[in-house]
Amino acid sequence: MSAASEQTREEWGRFAAWRAQHRAAATSSWQKLVSRLVATSMVWLVVAISLALPSVLLLTLDNLRPLAPDIARPAQVSVLLDGQLDFAQAESLQRQITAWTSVEDVALVGRDEALASFGEQTGLSGLLTSLDRNPLPHTLLVSPRAPLAGDALSQLIEDLNALPSVDRALADNQWMARLNQILVAGERWGLALGGAMALGAILALANTVYLAIAARREEILVVSLIGGSPAFIRRPFLYTGLYFGAGGGLLAGVMLWALTLWVAGPINALFLLYDSPGQLYGPGWRYPLVLIGLGAGLGWLASWIASARYFSRMKVH
Amino acid sequence: MIEFERVSRRFGDQDALRNLNLTLESGEMAFLTGHSGAGKSTLLRLLLLLDRPSSGEIRVNGESTSSIRSRKVPRYRRRFGVVFQDHRLLFDRSVHDNVALPLVMAGFSPKDTARRVRAALDKVGLLSHERANPAVLSGGEQQRVGIARAVVARPEFLIADEPTGNLDPKLSTEIMTLFEAFNQVGVTVLVATHDLPLISRLRHRIITLQEGRLAGAHTQ
Repeated sequence: MSAASEQTREEWGRFAAWRAQHRAAATSSWQKLVSRLVATSMVWLVVAISLALPSVLLLTLDNLRPLAPDIARPAQVSVLLDGQLDFAQAESLQRQITAWTSVEDVALVGRDEALASFGEQTGLSGLLTSLDRNPLPHTLLVSPRAPLAGDALSQLIEDLNALPSVDRALADNQWMARLNQILVAGERWGLALGGAMALGAILALANTVYLAIAARREEILVVSLIGGSPAFIRRPFLYTGLYFGAGGGLLAGVMLWALTLWVAGPINALFLLYDSPGQLYGPGWRYPLVLIGLGAGLGWLASWIASARYFSRMKVH
Repeated sequence: MIEFERVSRRFGDQDALRNLNLTLESGEMAFLTGHSGAGKSTLLRLLLLLDRPSSGEIRVNGESTSSIRSRKVPRYRRRFGVVFQDHRLLFDRSVHDNVALPLVMAGFSPKDTARRVRAALDKVGLLSHERANPAVLSGGEQQRVGIARAVVARPEFLIADEPTGNLDPKLSTEIMTLFEAFNQVGVTVLVATHDLPLISRLRHRIITLQEGRLAGAHTQ
Protein backbone atom coordinates (compact mmCIF):
# COMPACT_ATOMS: atom_id res chain seq x y z
CA MET A 1 0.00 0.00 0.00
CA SER A 2 1.45 3.35 -0.98
CA ALA A 3 2.19 6.07 1.52
CA ALA A 4 -0.28 8.40 -0.16
CA SER A 5 -3.18 6.01 0.17
CA GLU A 6 -2.25 5.31 3.77
CA GLN A 7 -2.47 9.00 4.41
CA THR A 8 -5.90 9.31 2.78
CA ARG A 9 -7.08 6.56 5.05
CA GLU A 10 -5.74 8.33 8.08
CA GLU A 11 -7.51 11.53 7.07
CA TRP A 12 -10.75 9.68 6.58
CA GLY A 13 -10.22 8.35 10.08
CA ARG A 14 -11.01 5.17 11.90
CA PHE A 15 -14.18 6.54 13.46
CA ALA A 16 -15.63 7.75 10.20
CA ALA A 17 -14.87 4.38 8.62
CA TRP A 18 -16.47 2.58 11.54
CA ARG A 19 -19.53 4.79 11.28
CA ALA A 20 -19.77 4.26 7.53
CA GLN A 21 -19.56 0.48 8.00
CA HIS A 22 -22.33 0.65 10.59
CA ARG A 23 -24.49 2.78 8.34
CA ALA A 24 -23.98 0.37 5.45
CA ALA A 25 -24.77 -2.66 7.63
CA ALA A 26 -27.84 -0.96 9.12
CA THR A 27 -29.18 0.00 5.70
CA SER A 28 -28.59 -3.33 3.99
CA SER A 29 -30.11 -5.28 6.89
CA TRP A 30 -33.18 -3.06 6.86
CA GLN A 31 -33.60 -3.50 3.12
CA LYS A 32 -33.35 -7.27 3.48
CA LEU A 33 -36.03 -7.28 6.20
CA VAL A 34 -38.39 -5.08 4.24
CA SER A 35 -37.96 -7.17 1.12
CA ARG A 36 -39.37 -10.15 3.07
CA LEU A 37 -42.14 -8.32 4.83
CA VAL A 38 -44.41 -11.29 5.58
CA ALA A 39 -41.66 -13.34 7.24
CA THR A 40 -40.42 -10.25 9.07
CA SER A 41 -43.93 -9.42 10.33
CA MET A 42 -44.26 -12.92 11.76
CA VAL A 43 -41.05 -12.49 13.73
CA TRP A 44 -42.27 -9.10 14.96
CA LEU A 45 -45.54 -10.70 16.02
CA VAL A 46 -43.78 -13.47 17.98
CA VAL A 47 -41.61 -10.95 19.81
CA ALA A 48 -44.58 -8.62 20.36
CA ILE A 49 -46.71 -11.33 21.96
CA SER A 50 -43.84 -12.46 24.19
CA LEU A 51 -43.38 -8.91 25.42
CA ALA A 52 -47.04 -7.85 25.51
CA LEU A 53 -48.37 -10.64 27.75
CA PRO A 54 -46.26 -9.86 30.82
CA SER A 55 -46.70 -6.14 30.12
CA VAL A 56 -50.48 -6.48 30.27
CA LEU A 57 -50.14 -8.17 33.64
CA LEU A 58 -47.84 -5.46 35.00
CA LEU A 59 -50.11 -2.75 33.60
CA THR A 60 -53.10 -4.36 35.31
CA LEU A 61 -51.21 -4.34 38.61
CA ASP A 62 -50.33 -0.69 38.05
CA ASN A 63 -54.05 -0.04 37.76
CA LEU A 64 -54.92 -1.97 40.91
CA ARG A 65 -52.26 -0.38 43.08
CA PRO A 66 -54.13 2.94 43.70
CA LEU A 67 -57.04 0.92 45.08
CA ALA A 68 -54.88 0.15 48.09
CA PRO A 69 -53.72 3.70 48.80
CA ASP A 70 -52.86 3.49 52.48
CA ILE A 71 -50.83 0.38 52.52
CA ALA A 72 -48.11 2.22 54.36
CA ARG A 73 -50.49 2.93 57.23
CA PRO A 74 -50.73 0.01 59.61
CA ALA A 75 -54.13 -1.60 59.83
CA GLN A 76 -56.44 -0.04 62.40
CA VAL A 77 -58.39 -2.33 64.67
CA SER A 78 -61.98 -1.42 65.58
CA VAL A 79 -62.93 -2.77 68.99
CA LEU A 80 -66.69 -2.93 69.58
CA LEU A 81 -67.23 -2.97 73.34
CA ASP A 82 -69.89 -4.82 75.22
CA GLY A 83 -73.21 -2.90 75.05
CA GLN A 84 -73.56 -2.96 78.84
CA LEU A 85 -70.32 -1.00 79.39
CA ASP A 86 -70.74 2.66 80.40
CA PHE A 87 -68.49 5.49 79.18
CA ALA A 88 -66.26 5.57 82.28
CA GLN A 89 -65.58 1.85 82.03
CA ALA A 90 -64.79 2.31 78.36
CA GLU A 91 -62.31 5.08 79.25
CA SER A 92 -60.55 2.87 81.75
CA LEU A 93 -60.31 0.13 79.16
CA GLN A 94 -58.87 2.67 76.71
CA ARG A 95 -56.12 3.54 79.23
CA GLN A 96 -55.46 -0.15 79.85
CA ILE A 97 -54.98 -0.96 76.16
CA THR A 98 -52.91 2.16 75.49
CA ALA A 99 -50.32 0.73 77.86
CA TRP A 100 -49.80 -2.36 75.68
CA THR A 101 -46.43 -2.44 73.94
CA SER A 102 -47.91 -3.44 70.61
CA VAL A 103 -50.28 -0.44 70.62
CA GLU A 104 -49.47 3.04 69.38
CA ASP A 105 -52.67 4.85 70.22
CA VAL A 106 -56.26 4.20 71.23
CA ALA A 107 -59.14 6.53 70.39
CA LEU A 108 -62.51 6.22 72.10
CA VAL A 109 -65.64 6.86 70.08
CA GLY A 110 -68.62 7.16 72.39
CA ARG A 111 -71.90 5.58 71.35
CA ASP A 112 -73.67 8.97 71.14
CA GLU A 113 -70.91 10.44 69.03
CA ALA A 114 -70.99 7.39 66.76
CA LEU A 115 -74.76 7.59 66.36
CA ALA A 116 -74.60 11.29 65.51
CA SER A 117 -71.89 10.85 62.85
CA PHE A 118 -73.71 7.82 61.45
CA GLY A 119 -76.87 9.94 61.19
CA GLU A 120 -74.92 12.71 59.48
CA GLN A 121 -73.21 10.43 57.00
CA THR A 122 -76.35 8.55 56.03
CA GLY A 123 -78.87 11.40 56.29
CA LEU A 124 -80.97 9.24 58.59
CA SER A 125 -80.71 11.54 61.65
CA GLY A 126 -84.48 12.04 61.79
CA LEU A 127 -85.15 8.34 61.77
CA LEU A 128 -82.47 7.66 64.38
CA THR A 129 -83.93 10.13 66.89
CA SER A 130 -87.12 8.09 66.81
CA LEU A 131 -85.24 5.07 68.22
CA ASP A 132 -86.00 4.56 71.93
CA ARG A 133 -82.38 3.63 72.63
CA ASN A 134 -78.97 3.92 70.93
CA PRO A 135 -78.20 0.50 69.44
CA LEU A 136 -74.49 1.28 68.99
CA PRO A 137 -71.83 0.27 71.56
CA HIS A 138 -68.84 2.38 72.60
CA THR A 139 -65.96 1.72 70.21
CA LEU A 140 -62.20 1.85 70.60
CA LEU A 141 -60.05 2.51 67.53
CA VAL A 142 -56.73 0.81 68.22
CA SER A 143 -53.73 1.81 66.10
CA PRO A 144 -51.00 -0.83 66.30
CA ARG A 145 -47.41 0.24 66.68
CA ALA A 146 -46.03 0.27 63.14
CA PRO A 147 -44.89 -1.86 61.51
CA LEU A 148 -47.27 -4.51 62.64
CA ALA A 149 -48.56 -6.94 60.09
CA GLY A 150 -49.48 -10.56 59.56
CA ASP A 151 -49.04 -12.71 62.64
CA ALA A 152 -48.42 -9.82 65.05
CA LEU A 153 -51.62 -8.13 63.95
CA SER A 154 -53.58 -11.38 64.31
CA GLN A 155 -52.10 -11.78 67.81
CA LEU A 156 -53.21 -8.26 68.78
CA ILE A 157 -56.76 -8.93 67.51
CA GLU A 158 -56.82 -12.20 69.44
CA ASP A 159 -55.66 -10.44 72.65
CA LEU A 160 -58.34 -7.77 72.23
CA ASN A 161 -61.03 -10.35 71.62
CA ALA A 162 -59.92 -12.16 74.77
CA LEU A 163 -60.79 -9.13 76.97
CA PRO A 164 -64.06 -9.81 78.82
CA SER A 165 -65.69 -6.45 78.02
CA VAL A 166 -64.92 -6.64 74.30
CA ASP A 167 -67.70 -7.79 72.04
CA ARG A 168 -65.69 -8.00 68.84
CA ALA A 169 -62.35 -6.71 67.51
CA LEU A 170 -61.82 -6.49 63.76
CA ALA A 171 -59.10 -5.08 61.55
CA ASP A 172 -61.00 -2.77 59.25
CA ASN A 173 -58.40 -2.64 56.57
CA GLN A 174 -57.11 -6.16 56.63
CA TRP A 175 -58.39 -6.60 53.08
CA MET A 176 -55.98 -3.85 52.04
CA ALA A 177 -53.07 -5.75 53.49
CA ARG A 178 -54.31 -8.82 51.63
CA LEU A 179 -54.67 -6.88 48.40
CA ASN A 180 -51.18 -5.53 48.87
CA GLN A 181 -49.79 -9.02 49.26
CA ILE A 182 -51.73 -10.12 46.17
CA LEU A 183 -50.23 -7.21 44.24
CA VAL A 184 -46.72 -8.06 45.39
CA ALA A 185 -47.26 -11.71 44.48
CA GLY A 186 -48.83 -10.71 41.17
CA GLU A 187 -45.90 -8.45 40.37
CA ARG A 188 -43.42 -11.21 41.03
CA TRP A 189 -45.51 -13.58 38.98
CA GLY A 190 -45.54 -11.01 36.15
CA LEU A 191 -41.78 -10.56 36.35
CA ALA A 192 -41.19 -14.32 36.33
CA LEU A 193 -43.56 -14.71 33.41
CA GLY A 194 -41.84 -11.78 31.70
CA GLY A 195 -38.44 -13.36 32.25
CA ALA A 196 -39.60 -16.66 30.81
CA MET A 197 -41.23 -15.00 27.81
CA ALA A 198 -38.18 -12.82 27.23
CA LEU A 199 -36.04 -15.94 27.25
CA GLY A 200 -38.45 -17.50 24.77
CA ALA A 201 -38.20 -14.40 22.60
CA ILE A 202 -34.40 -14.55 22.73
CA LEU A 203 -34.41 -18.20 21.68
CA ALA A 204 -36.89 -17.59 18.87
CA LEU A 205 -34.89 -14.58 17.68
CA ALA A 206 -31.56 -16.37 17.98
CA ASN A 207 -32.92 -19.22 15.90
CA THR A 208 -34.31 -16.87 13.25
CA VAL A 209 -31.07 -14.95 13.03
CA TYR A 210 -29.09 -18.20 12.95
CA LEU A 211 -31.10 -19.29 9.91
CA ALA A 212 -30.53 -15.88 8.32
CA ILE A 213 -26.79 -16.27 8.89
CA ALA A 214 -26.78 -19.84 7.58
CA ALA A 215 -28.61 -18.67 4.45
CA ARG A 216 -25.67 -16.36 3.71
CA ARG A 217 -22.99 -18.97 4.30
CA GLU A 218 -21.27 -18.38 0.95
CA GLU A 219 -21.01 -14.66 1.53
CA ILE A 220 -19.60 -15.16 5.01
CA LEU A 221 -16.96 -17.59 3.71
CA VAL A 222 -15.89 -15.20 0.95
CA VAL A 223 -15.75 -12.17 3.22
CA SER A 224 -13.81 -14.16 5.79
CA LEU A 225 -11.37 -15.38 3.12
CA ILE A 226 -10.60 -11.91 1.85
CA GLY A 227 -9.96 -10.59 5.33
CA GLY A 228 -13.30 -9.54 6.80
CA SER A 229 -13.14 -9.54 10.59
CA PRO A 230 -15.81 -11.38 12.61
CA ALA A 231 -17.07 -7.98 13.77
CA PHE A 232 -17.53 -6.90 10.16
CA ILE A 233 -19.31 -10.13 9.27
CA ARG A 234 -21.47 -10.05 12.37
CA ARG A 235 -22.55 -6.42 12.07
CA PRO A 236 -25.42 -6.76 9.56
CA PHE A 237 -26.87 -9.64 11.57
CA LEU A 238 -26.73 -7.63 14.78
CA TYR A 239 -28.80 -5.00 13.03
CA THR A 240 -31.20 -7.68 11.80
CA GLY A 241 -31.70 -8.82 15.40
CA LEU A 242 -32.02 -5.23 16.57
CA TYR A 243 -34.75 -4.54 14.03
CA PHE A 244 -36.58 -7.76 14.86
CA GLY A 245 -36.52 -6.92 18.57
CA ALA A 246 -37.27 -3.21 18.37
CA GLY A 247 -40.06 -3.80 15.84
CA GLY A 248 -41.55 -6.46 18.12
CA GLY A 249 -41.32 -4.07 21.07
CA LEU A 250 -43.04 -1.32 19.10
CA LEU A 251 -45.79 -3.73 18.05
CA ALA A 252 -46.17 -4.84 21.69
CA GLY A 253 -46.63 -1.18 22.66
CA VAL A 254 -49.30 -0.77 19.99
CA MET A 255 -51.03 -3.93 21.24
CA LEU A 256 -50.99 -2.59 24.78
CA TRP A 257 -52.53 0.68 23.66
CA ALA A 258 -55.15 -1.09 21.59
CA LEU A 259 -56.11 -3.32 24.51
CA THR A 260 -56.31 -0.34 26.84
CA LEU A 261 -58.59 1.57 24.48
CA TRP A 262 -60.73 -1.50 24.01
CA VAL A 263 -61.32 -2.19 27.71
CA ALA A 264 -61.29 1.48 28.83
CA GLY A 265 -65.04 1.93 28.20
CA PRO A 266 -66.36 -0.86 30.43
CA ILE A 267 -63.65 -0.40 33.08
CA ASN A 268 -64.27 3.33 33.45
CA ALA A 269 -68.02 2.63 33.58
CA LEU A 270 -67.29 0.15 36.38
CA PHE A 271 -65.31 2.82 38.27
CA LEU A 272 -68.33 5.12 37.93
CA LEU A 273 -70.69 2.45 39.23
CA TYR A 274 -68.48 2.22 42.33
CA ASP A 275 -68.60 6.02 42.64
CA SER A 276 -64.84 5.96 42.26
CA PRO A 277 -63.12 8.88 40.58
CA GLY A 278 -60.61 6.29 39.31
CA GLN A 279 -59.71 6.05 35.66
CA LEU A 280 -57.96 3.33 33.71
CA TYR A 281 -54.25 4.05 33.33
CA GLY A 282 -53.03 3.58 29.79
CA PRO A 283 -49.51 2.35 28.97
CA GLY A 284 -48.54 6.00 28.41
CA TRP A 285 -45.27 6.56 26.60
CA ARG A 286 -43.21 4.79 29.24
CA TYR A 287 -44.40 1.27 28.47
CA PRO A 288 -43.87 1.45 24.67
CA LEU A 289 -40.50 3.09 25.18
CA VAL A 290 -39.33 0.42 27.61
CA LEU A 291 -40.74 -2.30 25.32
CA ILE A 292 -38.89 -0.97 22.28
CA GLY A 293 -35.66 -0.64 24.26
CA LEU A 294 -36.06 -4.06 25.80
CA GLY A 295 -36.91 -5.62 22.42
CA ALA A 296 -33.91 -3.99 20.77
CA GLY A 297 -31.63 -5.19 23.54
CA LEU A 298 -32.99 -8.74 23.40
CA GLY A 299 -32.68 -8.77 19.60
CA TRP A 300 -29.08 -7.58 19.72
CA LEU A 301 -28.24 -10.15 22.38
CA ALA A 302 -29.98 -12.95 20.45
CA SER A 303 -28.04 -12.10 17.27
CA TRP A 304 -24.82 -12.03 19.21
CA ILE A 305 -25.53 -15.51 20.58
CA ALA A 306 -26.56 -16.80 17.15
CA SER A 307 -23.51 -15.42 15.36
CA ALA A 308 -21.12 -16.61 18.04
CA ARG A 309 -22.60 -20.09 17.77
CA TYR A 310 -22.42 -20.03 13.97
CA PHE A 311 -18.88 -18.69 13.84
CA SER A 312 -17.59 -21.27 16.28
CA ARG A 313 -19.18 -24.02 14.21
CA MET A 314 -17.87 -22.58 10.94
CA LYS A 315 -14.48 -21.78 12.47
CA VAL A 316 -14.65 -18.22 11.15
CA HIS A 317 -11.60 -16.42 12.49
CA MET B 1 8.79 -12.90 0.39
CA ILE B 2 7.03 -16.14 1.24
CA GLU B 3 9.01 -18.99 2.79
CA PHE B 4 7.91 -22.52 3.63
CA GLU B 5 10.44 -24.27 5.83
CA ARG B 6 10.08 -28.02 6.45
CA VAL B 7 6.30 -27.65 6.40
CA SER B 8 4.20 -30.77 6.91
CA ARG B 9 0.47 -31.14 7.19
CA ARG B 10 -1.00 -34.47 8.23
CA PHE B 11 -4.66 -35.43 8.08
CA GLY B 12 -5.01 -38.59 10.14
CA ASP B 13 -2.39 -40.95 8.68
CA GLN B 14 -2.33 -39.08 5.35
CA ASP B 15 0.39 -36.57 4.58
CA ALA B 16 -0.92 -33.67 2.49
CA LEU B 17 2.45 -31.89 2.63
CA ARG B 18 5.75 -33.46 3.65
CA ASN B 19 8.75 -31.43 4.71
CA LEU B 20 8.12 -28.80 2.08
CA ASN B 21 10.79 -26.16 1.53
CA LEU B 22 9.79 -23.35 -0.80
CA THR B 23 10.70 -19.71 -1.27
CA LEU B 24 8.81 -17.17 -3.32
CA GLU B 25 10.78 -13.96 -3.72
CA SER B 26 9.13 -10.55 -3.50
CA GLY B 27 8.01 -9.41 -6.94
CA GLU B 28 8.25 -12.93 -8.31
CA MET B 29 5.54 -14.67 -10.30
CA ALA B 30 5.29 -18.45 -10.06
CA PHE B 31 2.92 -21.24 -10.99
CA LEU B 32 2.06 -23.98 -8.56
CA THR B 33 1.11 -27.20 -10.27
CA GLY B 34 0.64 -30.89 -9.67
CA HIS B 35 -2.08 -33.53 -9.83
CA SER B 36 -5.16 -33.14 -7.69
CA GLY B 37 -4.26 -34.27 -4.21
CA ALA B 38 -0.64 -33.29 -4.66
CA GLY B 39 -1.02 -30.61 -1.98
CA LYS B 40 -1.71 -27.39 -3.92
CA SER B 41 -4.89 -26.55 -2.03
CA THR B 42 -3.32 -27.46 1.31
CA LEU B 43 -0.40 -25.15 0.57
CA LEU B 44 -2.70 -22.23 -0.27
CA ARG B 45 -4.90 -22.91 2.77
CA LEU B 46 -1.83 -22.87 5.03
CA LEU B 47 -0.63 -19.65 3.46
CA LEU B 48 -4.00 -17.93 4.06
CA LEU B 49 -4.14 -19.34 7.62
CA LEU B 50 -7.29 -21.29 6.84
CA ASP B 51 -5.31 -24.16 8.30
CA ARG B 52 -2.14 -24.53 10.34
CA PRO B 53 0.84 -26.77 9.60
CA SER B 54 1.42 -29.93 11.66
CA SER B 55 5.09 -29.00 11.76
CA GLY B 56 7.47 -26.56 10.14
CA GLU B 57 7.20 -22.83 9.66
CA ILE B 58 5.73 -20.42 7.12
CA ARG B 59 7.23 -16.94 7.03
CA VAL B 60 5.87 -13.92 5.18
CA ASN B 61 8.43 -11.15 4.75
CA GLY B 62 10.50 -12.88 7.39
CA GLU B 63 7.69 -12.95 9.93
CA SER B 64 6.50 -16.31 11.18
CA THR B 65 2.78 -16.91 10.70
CA SER B 66 2.58 -19.33 13.60
CA SER B 67 2.54 -16.42 16.04
CA ILE B 68 -0.49 -14.78 14.40
CA ARG B 69 -3.45 -15.15 16.77
CA SER B 70 -6.90 -15.63 15.30
CA ARG B 71 -7.83 -12.02 16.11
CA LYS B 72 -5.07 -10.84 13.81
CA VAL B 73 -5.89 -13.25 10.99
CA PRO B 74 -8.30 -10.93 9.09
CA ARG B 75 -5.66 -8.19 8.98
CA TYR B 76 -3.09 -10.73 7.77
CA ARG B 77 -5.41 -11.96 5.02
CA ARG B 78 -5.86 -8.44 3.71
CA ARG B 79 -2.23 -8.52 2.59
CA PHE B 80 -3.30 -11.11 0.03
CA GLY B 81 -5.54 -10.73 -2.96
CA VAL B 82 -7.24 -14.05 -3.59
CA VAL B 83 -8.76 -15.26 -6.86
CA PHE B 84 -10.91 -18.42 -6.78
CA GLN B 85 -11.71 -20.91 -9.50
CA ASP B 86 -15.44 -20.24 -9.11
CA HIS B 87 -14.71 -16.50 -8.58
CA ARG B 88 -17.06 -16.42 -5.52
CA LEU B 89 -18.82 -13.19 -6.39
CA LEU B 90 -21.85 -12.10 -4.40
CA PHE B 91 -24.88 -11.93 -6.64
CA ASP B 92 -26.94 -9.82 -4.25
CA ARG B 93 -24.96 -6.71 -5.17
CA SER B 94 -23.51 -4.93 -8.17
CA VAL B 95 -20.09 -5.44 -9.76
CA HIS B 96 -18.98 -2.21 -8.12
CA ASP B 97 -20.05 -3.34 -4.66
CA ASN B 98 -18.35 -6.71 -5.11
CA VAL B 99 -15.07 -5.10 -6.02
CA ALA B 100 -15.45 -2.51 -3.25
CA LEU B 101 -15.80 -5.15 -0.51
CA PRO B 102 -12.10 -5.31 0.53
CA LEU B 103 -11.96 -1.49 0.65
CA VAL B 104 -15.13 -1.21 2.73
CA MET B 105 -13.68 -3.78 5.15
CA ALA B 106 -10.43 -1.88 5.36
CA GLY B 107 -12.31 1.34 6.07
CA PHE B 108 -11.64 3.44 2.98
CA SER B 109 -13.73 6.57 2.45
CA PRO B 110 -16.56 6.31 -0.12
CA LYS B 111 -14.73 8.72 -2.41
CA ASP B 112 -11.49 6.75 -2.25
CA THR B 113 -13.37 3.50 -2.65
CA ALA B 114 -15.21 4.63 -5.78
CA ARG B 115 -11.98 5.88 -7.35
CA ARG B 116 -10.07 2.67 -6.68
CA VAL B 117 -12.91 0.41 -7.76
CA ARG B 118 -13.14 2.23 -11.06
CA ALA B 119 -9.38 1.98 -11.53
CA ALA B 120 -9.43 -1.77 -10.81
CA LEU B 121 -12.39 -2.38 -13.13
CA ASP B 122 -10.68 -0.34 -15.82
CA LYS B 123 -7.58 -2.56 -15.55
CA VAL B 124 -9.63 -5.71 -16.12
CA GLY B 125 -11.62 -4.00 -18.89
CA LEU B 126 -15.00 -4.00 -17.19
CA LEU B 127 -15.51 -0.35 -16.28
CA SER B 128 -18.66 -0.21 -18.40
CA HIS B 129 -20.21 -3.00 -16.33
CA GLU B 130 -19.74 -1.24 -12.99
CA ARG B 131 -23.47 -1.06 -12.21
CA ALA B 132 -24.35 -4.52 -13.58
CA ASN B 133 -25.18 -7.52 -11.46
CA PRO B 134 -22.32 -10.03 -11.79
CA ALA B 135 -24.86 -12.79 -12.54
CA VAL B 136 -25.49 -11.34 -16.01
CA LEU B 137 -21.78 -11.45 -16.94
CA SER B 138 -20.03 -14.25 -18.82
CA GLY B 139 -17.71 -16.69 -17.01
CA GLY B 140 -14.61 -14.84 -18.21
CA GLU B 141 -16.03 -11.49 -17.17
CA GLN B 142 -17.00 -12.83 -13.75
CA GLN B 143 -13.46 -14.08 -13.26
CA ARG B 144 -12.12 -10.65 -14.19
CA VAL B 145 -14.44 -9.07 -11.61
CA GLY B 146 -12.97 -11.54 -9.12
CA ILE B 147 -9.47 -10.39 -10.08
CA ALA B 148 -10.48 -6.74 -9.75
CA ARG B 149 -11.73 -7.52 -6.24
CA ALA B 150 -8.44 -9.29 -5.44
CA VAL B 151 -6.24 -6.39 -6.52
CA VAL B 152 -8.38 -3.37 -5.60
CA ALA B 153 -6.83 -2.93 -2.17
CA ARG B 154 -3.33 -3.22 -3.73
CA PRO B 155 -2.22 -6.30 -1.80
CA GLU B 156 1.42 -7.37 -1.56
CA PHE B 157 0.55 -10.86 -2.77
CA LEU B 158 -1.86 -12.13 -5.37
CA ILE B 159 -2.87 -15.75 -4.87
CA ALA B 160 -5.00 -17.54 -7.44
CA ASP B 161 -6.47 -21.02 -7.10
CA GLU B 162 -7.21 -22.55 -10.53
CA PRO B 163 -8.34 -19.19 -11.89
CA THR B 164 -8.74 -20.52 -15.43
CA GLY B 165 -10.29 -23.85 -14.50
CA ASN B 166 -13.65 -22.98 -16.02
CA LEU B 167 -12.46 -20.91 -18.97
CA ASP B 168 -11.56 -21.68 -22.60
CA PRO B 169 -7.91 -21.30 -23.75
CA LYS B 170 -8.36 -17.80 -25.18
CA LEU B 171 -9.95 -16.42 -21.99
CA SER B 172 -7.38 -18.30 -19.90
CA THR B 173 -4.58 -16.55 -21.73
CA GLU B 174 -6.26 -13.19 -21.12
CA ILE B 175 -6.48 -13.91 -17.41
CA MET B 176 -2.83 -14.96 -17.18
CA THR B 177 -1.82 -11.83 -19.07
CA LEU B 178 -3.67 -9.81 -16.44
CA PHE B 179 -1.73 -11.55 -13.68
CA GLU B 180 1.52 -10.80 -15.48
CA ALA B 181 0.51 -7.15 -15.73
CA PHE B 182 0.00 -6.98 -11.97
CA ASN B 183 3.29 -8.78 -11.42
CA GLN B 184 5.05 -6.19 -13.55
CA VAL B 185 3.96 -3.43 -11.17
CA GLY B 186 5.54 -5.28 -8.27
CA VAL B 187 2.89 -7.65 -6.91
CA THR B 188 4.13 -11.10 -5.91
CA VAL B 189 1.94 -13.60 -7.76
CA LEU B 190 1.34 -17.30 -7.06
CA VAL B 191 -1.06 -19.11 -9.37
CA ALA B 192 -2.11 -22.68 -8.66
CA THR B 193 -3.14 -24.34 -11.90
CA HIS B 194 -2.86 -27.56 -13.84
CA ASP B 195 -3.17 -25.86 -17.22
CA LEU B 196 0.36 -27.01 -18.22
CA PRO B 197 0.09 -26.11 -21.94
CA LEU B 198 -0.75 -22.54 -21.01
CA ILE B 199 1.89 -21.98 -18.34
CA SER B 200 4.64 -23.67 -20.31
CA ARG B 201 4.30 -20.84 -22.84
CA LEU B 202 4.80 -18.23 -20.11
CA ARG B 203 8.26 -17.55 -18.77
CA HIS B 204 7.82 -18.00 -15.04
CA ARG B 205 8.93 -20.43 -12.43
CA ILE B 206 6.84 -23.60 -12.22
CA ILE B 207 6.63 -25.27 -8.83
CA THR B 208 5.43 -28.85 -9.13
CA LEU B 209 4.07 -30.72 -6.16
CA GLN B 210 3.97 -34.48 -6.07
CA GLU B 211 2.46 -36.33 -3.13
CA GLY B 212 3.08 -33.38 -0.85
CA ARG B 213 6.69 -32.90 -1.92
CA LEU B 214 8.48 -30.60 -4.31
CA ALA B 215 8.95 -32.56 -7.55
CA GLY B 216 11.06 -29.96 -9.31
CA ALA B 217 11.38 -26.23 -9.34
CA HIS B 218 12.84 -24.90 -12.52
CA THR B 219 12.73 -21.88 -14.78
CA GLN B 220 11.87 -22.50 -18.40
